Amino acid sequence: MIDDRTTTRAAPGTSGDGTAAGREPVGRRRRGVTQQQRPLWLLAPGGILMTLVIGLPLLLAGYLSLIDLDQYTLRRWLQAPFIGVGNFTEAFQTGLLHSIWISVSFAVISTAVTAPLGVAAAIVTQNAYRGRGVVRAIFLIPYVLPSFVVASVWRTMLQPDGIVNTLLAKVGVTGGLWLSGPKSYWTLILVEIWAAWPFIYLMALAGLQSVDGEVHEASALDGANWWPKLRHVILPYLRGPVLLACLLATLSHINNFTLPFVLFGAPAPDDVNVMPMIVYVTSFQGLRFGLSAAMAIVSLLLIAVPLFAYLRALRLDVHEDGRAR
Amino acid sequence: MSLRMMRAVVALAGATVLTAALAACGDSDSGSGGGSKTLHVLIGANTQYPAEQQAWMKSTGETFKTQTGATISWETFASASDELTKIQTSVVSGTGPDVYSIGTTFTPTAYSTKAFVTLSDADWQKIGGRDKFVPASLGISGPDQQHQIGIPWVSRPFVMAYNTELLKAAGITKPAATWDELTQQAKQLTKPGQYGLAIGYKDNFDPWKFIWGMSTQAGDPIVDGKTARIADPAVKKAYQTYFGWVTTDKVVDPAAVGWTNPQALAAFAKGNTGYFPMTSATAANTLDAGALKGKWAFALLPTVPPGATSRPANGVEAASILSGDNLVVADYSKNKDLAFQYVKLITDGPAQLQMYKTFGVLPQNAEAAKSLTSDPKLAPIVEAQGKSVATPFTGAWADIQIALTNAVVQSIPDLAKGSISDAQIDSRLDAAQKTAQSSLDRAK
Amino acid sequence: MTLSPTVPRRRAAAGEAHRLLPRPLLVIITLFLCAMVLVPVLYIVLASLNTDLGVAEGQFWPGSFSGTSYTKIWTTANLSTGILNSLVVCGLVAVASALLGTITAYVLVRFSFLGRVTILRALVGLQSIPGTLLLLPVFVLFSSAGNYLGLTVIGTRWGLFVAYLTFALPFSTWVMVTYLRGLPRELEEAARTEGASTLVILFRIIAPLSLPAIVVSGIFAFLLGWNDVLFASVLTSPETQTAAVALQVFGSTQEGGALPVYSQMMAAALICAAPVVLLYLIFQRYLVGGLTAGGVK
Repeated sequence: MIDDRTTTRAAPGTSGDGTAAGREPVGRRRRGVTQQQRPLWLLAPGGILMTLVIGLPLLLAGYLSLIDLDQYTLRRWLQAPFIGVGNFTEAFQTGLLHSIWISVSFAVISTAVTAPLGVAAAIVTQNAYRGRGVVRAIFLIPYVLPSFVVASVWRTMLQPDGIVNTLLAKVGVTGGLWLSGPKSYWTLILVEIWAAWPFIYLMALAGLQSVDGEVHEASALDGANWWPKLRHVILPYLRGPVLLACLLATLSHINNFTLPFVLFGAPAPDDVNVMPMIVYVTSFQGLRFGLSAAMAIVSLLLIAVPLFAYLRALRLDVHEDGRAR
Repeated sequence: MSLRMMRAVVALAGATVLTAALAACGDSDSGSGGGSKTLHVLIGANTQYPAEQQAWMKSTGETFKTQTGATISWETFASASDELTKIQTSVVSGTGPDVYSIGTTFTPTAYSTKAFVTLSDADWQKIGGRDKFVPASLGISGPDQQHQIGIPWVSRPFVMAYNTELLKAAGITKPAATWDELTQQAKQLTKPGQYGLAIGYKDNFDPWKFIWGMSTQAGDPIVDGKTARIADPAVKKAYQTYFGWVTTDKVVDPAAVGWTNPQALAAFAKGNTGYFPMTSATAANTLDAGALKGKWAFALLPTVPPGATSRPANGVEAASILSGDNLVVADYSKNKDLAFQYVKLITDGPAQLQMYKTFGVLPQNAEAAKSLTSDPKLAPIVEAQGKSVATPFTGAWADIQIALTNAVVQSIPDLAKGSISDAQIDSRLDAAQKTAQSSLDRAK
Repeated sequence: MTLSPTVPRRRAAAGEAHRLLPRPLLVIITLFLCAMVLVPVLYIVLASLNTDLGVAEGQFWPGSFSGTSYTKIWTTANLSTGILNSLVVCGLVAVASALLGTITAYVLVRFSFLGRVTILRALVGLQSIPGTLLLLPVFVLFSSAGNYLGLTVIGTRWGLFVAYLTFALPFSTWVMVTYLRGLPRELEEAARTEGASTLVILFRIIAPLSLPAIVVSGIFAFLLGWNDVLFASVLTSPETQTAAVALQVFGSTQEGGALPVYSQMMAAALICAAPVVLLYLIFQRYLVGGLTAGGVK
């Protein structure tokens, strides 16, 4: 935990520089003032809320995963029989791993495509021009529309005799089945991309605002062309926000239930039976709460591991001096 | 902003959050205080007749108040999943509505939670007696006469809608009475630009009703005691017939592999389809609104299984699943007597006829139902109500339903390609059999 | 590259120096993105002006234009109450979340203490918890508060507010963390040497400088509550229903015979989306700034 003890900071005169070259850590100066006057009490409100509303239910959910809770025992759930890892072993037999794989791969692909879209949109609306406000609002629309409306609209458009196939037929391409069969996986990705890219856009937008005015001027003075400037000067500013956005976006794709549910219905075609679907159906339609709690916890753990590896690797949580590398 | 003010702001912000966390009353539905009692009722939201439903709730509330002095607090649910969630949260916490209106197919699930009042003979008397109701309607009130929780409220039996003009043009005098006849007539009705049947293959609820109907008529009730009978010749024939309409007989629009029931209804309403099986009286509004006005009628669904000309000895004349809404009273309710009074009010003849006139749902009150048989348009529907058969009463039915539907969902790509082999059907049925049996094994 | 000192200066008028992309590329990308967004939205608009039956038939261009959907939705669903409740709850959540998130993030970024990194990682970890896992337990918790402590939480706006605030907090905090990390410390240090307390620094220095991030985290917190259906459907009563719950009525298919009211659903969706877009249009001017925008001293 070396990072905990130091607070290196960029030397004056170089904090505007995106590259590591110009920075000289000023050694480990103990900051007498901050070390003694840590207002840790400010963490209290948030901490209490999260413990109460997320922590406790999580513990409860953990308990639920260890008992045989279904429609027959729901009423007196405190007395439901304890079955230890019974739910967990059953979870693995229900195709949970396959579902998790579908979920994770779908999430990663969606993020990979939405990231450049979002960054491009942020860059494109950075400079003021007439009507920029409207364009910015337009960009936000897919994210603002309720998920089930988006799914319903796309579901209608992707019917075998829907508008997408009609248009494709005009160009001589047979659309085929979008909502069942092997193509359904790509349909899910497509619709998710359409609905979720503004998320990355917003984060990139915030990140772009932290670019100092002088940076622009300086690189103009240097005669930098737009592409090198973009790549070497501006984009590094976006690294932190965009990487965070990608992380959170991936998590939200993995947990997105409404979109696949409304697009494909339940039971869902095998190719698109994502993890939230299988957990929801088990819990709310099959009424097997213990089992679904176990499923959710298994997927949580399986996702948490790469998650923390990602965080460590990118040092998103520890890197705190000046601009990102 | 001075330092002091700043501290105050932060303290205030923190306090606000805490207060929010601790704030009790205030904006919840006006607490039942003082003398007058409140009965909490949960019913399904009616998107077809929203204004009428509001009016109905108001007038029923007024009548109830005059009768008992208590007010009704209404709550609506948007869909079947919504309702299930509500039931779960109420059962687990022991608080919630006093009276629920639940779909008949959910009654077994509700029963399995043991959170609803099992009606004693005395309770039935408070409601008006078992004889008040259409006999067939009590079939899904409980596993047997001694353990009934559901009070029949309204009926929505399933029937067939057909295009009178198209049938006449094809020389068909009577709608089909057997499934084979239906397939054959559909072939007669299919020509370029016209189809024999409108089917919603992708609907989440329709497919299993066809399978159940055909199987039950052939003598296979799907659930036999504690055994699932899905990998069974009768069920296989049912699937073959159901799939065959779009693959081999080609009497269905190929796009139907993507249709839900409403889409199939809309397609039928356009006027170029002969039959629309698996619909109910609530479709009447839609059919009269479009191009089909005056050119359609209802008929009983076929009651002879496919591959036969008459029902086998152990076959059941199941014209429809027992479909509609039951009323159940929560065991945790502190207003049980009030609840029974409410139930009595809305299951009495006048109230039932009123609901029919407003919403198009059939009464389960025997007298009211009888008075409607005189209407020719309604005759098939009332007949279907009388010939409705209950689906197996087991807590595992929800899973079985899903398993049967899943077999169709996974087959859709094959249907779209135009053919599905027997081997594939067998493998899907085996999978369904397995999940169904394991659910039945767990049932208590 | 040589750069000038980081002492904040008034930003020069945004001229060619600030242009990020050549004009033609800018236009192409903007048009592409707008088209991508607007084509399905066009369908929504057209469907809202169609009849329910027409939309169910799969018409893209309405067979007949009718605005009846817009009038029907107010009776079919409890939309006006829903939108009002949503605005109140989500607005409060947005403000509270941005506020608390900033405070929490500041502490996590600027001070070192045992467990700091763990907390940061845990905050991200919380984001990966699926809502369906927490639904029943949260309900049990809230209803127990009602049964045993006499605090009615279910069915109140406060209950929903607390739930949404808690779900939005980890996210808001992280947004502020990434942003605050990029702020140079000189300003704060200068203020501290003059004896300013943490709170003063927060309000007079940090907040104005991180306005874009505050706005963004507020928007996300707002939208989290605005579109949530799962928790709202369980934690509200008919009086405290949110717009998302009211909207559900349109989307659900009823078994057998009922035609889902598609056209009305599209109309209602547009009506529900409008307040958010409007709010965004109002607040997006704060999405410009940069460090020099609020230079102190």
